[in-house]
Amino acid sequence: MSQSHSSRIGAILLLLASLAGLAIALYAYSTPLTGVNGTLGALLTAVACGVLAVLALGLAALRGRATRILLRVLTLLGLAGTAFAGLLLHQVWIVVAMGVGLVGLIVDMLRSPRPTRSAHA
Amino acid sequence: MPTPRFPLPRLVTATALMLSVTPLAASAQEAPPEQERAASAASTPTQEAAQTRAAEQAPNAQAKRPSAGDSTGQPIPLVPETPTWDSFHGQLNAQKYSPLDQITTDNVGQLEKVWEVHTGDVSDGSGERPATVWSATPIFANDTLYIGTPFYRILALDPATGEQKWSFDTQSKLEAMTQPALKNRGVAYWQADDPVAGKPCQKIVYIGTMDARLFAVDADTGKACKSFADNGVLDINQWNDTHAKWPLSVLQPPTVVGDHLILGWAGKDWAFEQAPPGTVFSINARTGEREWTFQALSDAMREKSGTANVWTQMSADEEHGLVYLPVSSPSPNYWGGNRTEKAPLATSTTALDVDTGKVVWSRQWVHHDVWDYDINAAPTLMDITVDGEEIPALIQSTKQGFLFVVNRLTGEDVWPIEERPVPQGDGSVEGETYAPTQPFPTKPAPLLDQTEKPKVWWLADAVSGGECSALWDELRYEGMYTPPTTQGEGALTFPDSAGGVQWGGVAFDPQSQTAIVNTSRLVQYVKLYDREAYEKANSGSGNESGFAPQTGAPYGLRLEVARNWLGMPCWEPPYGELVALDMTTGDVKWRRPVGASQQYGFFMPESWGSPTIGGPAVTAGGVVFIGASMDARVRAYSLESGKELWSDQAQAPSVSNPAVYEYQGREYVVFIGGGNTILKQQVGDQVVAYALPEE
Repeated sequence: MSQSHSSRIGAILLLLASLAGLAIALYAYSTPLTGVNGTLGALLTAVACGVLAVLALGLAALRGRATRILLRVLTLLGLAGTAFAGLLLHQVWIVVAMGVGLVGLIVDMLRSPRPTRSAHA
Repeated sequence: MPTPRFPLPRLVTATALMLSVTPLAASAQEAPPEQERAASAASTPTQEAAQTRAAEQAPNAQAKRPSAGDSTGQPIPLVPETPTWDSFHGQLNAQKYSPLDQITTDNVGQLEKVWEVHTGDVSDGSGERPATVWSATPIFANDTLYIGTPFYRILALDPATGEQKWSFDTQSKLEAMTQPALKNRGVAYWQADDPVAGKPCQKIVYIGTMDARLFAVDADTGKACKSFADNGVLDINQWNDTHAKWPLSVLQPPTVVGDHLILGWAGKDWAFEQAPPGTVFSINARTGEREWTFQALSDAMREKSGTANVWTQMSADEEHGLVYLPVSSPSPNYWGGNRTEKAPLATSTTALDVDTGKVVWSRQWVHHDVWDYDINAAPTLMDITVDGEEIPALIQSTKQGFLFVVNRLTGEDVWPIEERPVPQGDGSVEGETYAPTQPFPTKPAPLLDQTEKPKVWWLADAVSGGECSALWDELRYEGMYTPPTTQGEGALTFPDSAGGVQWGGVAFDPQSQTAIVNTSRLVQYVKLYDREAYEKANSGSGNESGFAPQTGAPYGLRLEVARNWLGMPCWEPPYGELVALDMTTGDVKWRRPVGASQQYGFFMPESWGSPTIGGPAVTAGGVVFIGASMDARVRAYSLESGKELWSDQAQAPSVSNPAVYEYQGREYVVFIGGGNTILKQQVGDQVVAYALPEE
């Protein structure tokens, strides 16, 4: 596995988790008898998952340190908030998905390429 | 299949509440308090007798006689000897009790959905058609499940499969003529003592409509009964002879006692000082001919006031030939200066001779009602043993959270009911003469603690920067029955007109003599405005929990739920409970929060409970079934312990009592997921049946 690919695995995991959350939230929103079908809460949760997916793409694509830190903070907040919403919606699989997304974020933080130090330093 | 769920940490959900805005307040605010009202017609000779109190009437009630409907003269047991669910509350005694025991506390967790029907008769109110409010209980009779819909259709379903046998469409106008929504409480069923095979209309299903017509339909074929009234249709509005400019509605099916259809009606609330006076009719079940009428108001009061009607189900003791009327309050609801004389039959439980309509006894539960404390549920009839004495009793639930228990033959107290002094107002309302005392039961204890002002909920207060505390300071509350005022933000009403116990009433297990009742704990506040101030203050919202004009009266009103700007209730949870009472002692056996509140789809902790509309059913299997909560789940609890044993998701809150019946050896429990705007803006058209898996 190339270093570039390896460094993106966390973001990819986060992306997949976000898309899974999106699918689950849309299912809950659109399917009768989920207890939350047609509700604003389920729709907002789906939107939040979509935003997390965009953030994951950003983490995979962007390299600027400050930008990545910002994206990670936003992602962490998004994961926490969405998981909490999943709790309140009684959609346990959204919580699980956000947990997986958190793992992806952690992996992304641990495996992302670090700035190379100058040999003179 | 039940939706997977898991417990929520309290702190987490509390935080979520701040973020997501609580359901309660919104629900209650959106809620039109069930203002079904009634109206007029001819008075009867019973009126004078009706003006007397229970004790004075007692001798009338002592003579037992065969039931109106019992041609053999044989005793009719209070609890049917065979499983019966052929009326709104299951049985005429309103016990909502089934002797079936196939489903028990041990196996109820295995319940599975065996069929589900969507009637298509539903509206969320987003278009031109008003929203639907569906509070029907299916009835099981003639080996068929009969259901009335809020589009005023009758459906006859196969009890085992839900397959439609026939349907009947009244072609009724789907307009909100007297109500803010299209409402229906189901159908009624009658059959001849000895049905003649092949002859039509020996078994009849009845449904009322928003435009006050009563339809009679052959239960076997779904064809109109030509021999009933005008080709199967009885126009109730023809008897609307006082304040007739306001139309009537027949939303509650008649109570069938023998060959009598006992019928009340509903009208428009809060809008006017006057209204059609509440009249109850006895109608011949076969022909539609009027037999007798009952009026709760005197002739003079009928002219200047109105309502004091019966808009909900009644109960009956066929053995003693008595029908029990839960009578509502006179109009207008929040000002009584036009009706200062005594009206002892208003806001009462009144027992009538079912053959003559004469008052046998009556007990008034609110004197000079200026709180819209309609008696809104059929009293539940029960034989109980208190201090070794067997007592033919009834229990009357109320919006106040009181449970009045009296001898159903005489109206006399089972446990003492005391007249206690109550607040007399601040003098700001002209023309009023408040009742100096009100009746308070000593047992059972009130379901809600009305002795002191509900405490401000710290969480709602904190997140609103003290908004709730500030509101509390502006609200007058001197205890139960604090009158409306023009001062400050008004008077705090607790329990409020949408709280306490609603039309689901009390269920009763005759084996263990246990009563089961669900209750809501809601806080509102009401302020009266003189005409000039009202015109300035009225935002024009026109909804029932906001401004209401009481046109003709010197005061309009504003009724609001006590909540903060986030929509969170300003008072502490729980918001709804299920309570079991030992009726041999009047003591509480257990009580627990029921259901979960919900807003925008977000569920609050079940420990907070939910406001409830609808009611329980109880079985000999020791199981209590109930929907009623905001989260639109249907549940089963242990009668013995109150432990939740099973639940499933319905399409919308189930705001009526479930039905329990046996068909071809299998026990079924059926709920209707219809919704009611009192709880939240969620509607449904679902009929769903559960049973144990077949072997």
